[in-house]
Amino acid sequence: MNYDSPELREQLAAEYVLGTMPALVRRRFERLLAGDAALRRAVEDWHARFDPIDHGAMAEEPPARVWRGVERELALPRPAAQAGWFSSLAFWRGATLAAAAVAAAAIVYVAVRPTPQATVVAVLSDDKGEPGWIATSSGRGGDVDIAPVRQVAIDATHAFELWAIAEGKPRPLGLLQPAPGRKLAVEAALVPANGVLAVSLEPAGGSPTGLPTGPVEYKGAVLPRD
Amino acid sequence: MTDSPLLLQELLRKTASGDSAAFAELYKQTAGKLFGVAIRIAGRGEVAEDALQECFVLVWQRAADYDPMRGAAMSWLIAIMRNCTIDRLRRRATRPEGHATTEEALSRLAAPDTASKGIELRALKDCLGELDEQPRQAVLLAYLYGLTREELAARLAVPVGTVKSWIRRSLDRLRRCLDR
Repeated sequence: MNYDSPELREQLAAEYVLGTMPALVRRRFERLLAGDAALRRAVEDWHARFDPIDHGAMAEEPPARVWRGVERELALPRPAAQAGWFSSLAFWRGATLAAAAVAAAAIVYVAVRPTPQATVVAVLSDDKGEPGWIATSSGRGGDVDIAPVRQVAIDATHAFELWAIAEGKPRPLGLLQPAPGRKLAVEAALVPANGVLAVSLEPAGGSPTGLPTGPVEYKGAVLPRD
Repeated sequence: MTDSPLLLQELLRKTASGDSAAFAELYKQTAGKLFGVAIRIAGRGEVAEDALQECFVLVWQRAADYDPMRGAAMSWLIAIMRNCTIDRLRRRATRPEGHATTEEALSRLAAPDTASKGIELRALKDCLGELDEQPRQAVLLAYLYGLTREELAARLAVPVGTVKSWIRRSLDRLRRCLDR
């Protein structure tokens, strides 16, 4: 397709904002957007034409778990000297670590049988709490291995990408193979001590932008190391 | 909810510098309206909640990309919210049913959060009113409820090709009407 045609560019920008593009066309267009500032402006203009409708949307109180999920996913630093509302952060981080530790113990026992001295670095679970990946380390300074704990279906147009998230900033660590026995080795120094490991669904070949573009399918807090 | 565009802009700027208290305040101020947008598109439930969570994760990560010269902070947030919701909706086989008619949905809108958006909403409604009935329905059903071309074709009982050309022509007419 000739993406230089002004009519076509305008038309694609409009349909992107309207939301009628099929999923694959949408993804392709987003990759195009990442490297085309003029096209991004055309999209912004279309958003501005339609968004008075959304500015008038009726507000609805979201359940508290949404914000807790945001905090957990970003591993947000706890603001200093804030009481009350923010104190939930500490509670939820603690709860996540405890839950991850319980899950880790169960998984190590039933599924993985780690080699001697391997320690669990993180268990990455889906939003239902089902573990999908386990990160283990075999010793000081060595790599951290990320391996699937079960077979996960994925089509050829997508890939699972691993991210380290520290202070809310994601950093790409590589693509994962969702087949038993395949593992990704990551330098231990790239795994943040108080951060989160997350796996997002990306186009085949990985995120075109260097940031997660698809949904986070699995995540888990990095467990405290001794 | 207070709706001061300047305040939101300031909160976004602080968020970009890693101020998590400002980020939490931004959530308090805007999550309700954004959740309303997500619910209208995806219906109540998991998709809308997950999309709202993903939206704020992206807001934290991309706050530095927001350029106040290009539009209101709320508009920037709405664009992210819509994208997250539609992306998630597209990955689901089932969709919410029983939407209100587009006329009901439009008449039920609250006054937009700023006076200028109120004026823009009136202009948008006027220009939508200049479209033919079925093409207008196609555009509104898509924007309000995230319907795909195929869903629009089924709903309006016409071939997908007809929906495509209606949308193409309608968007072109809308742009010329709004820009004049």
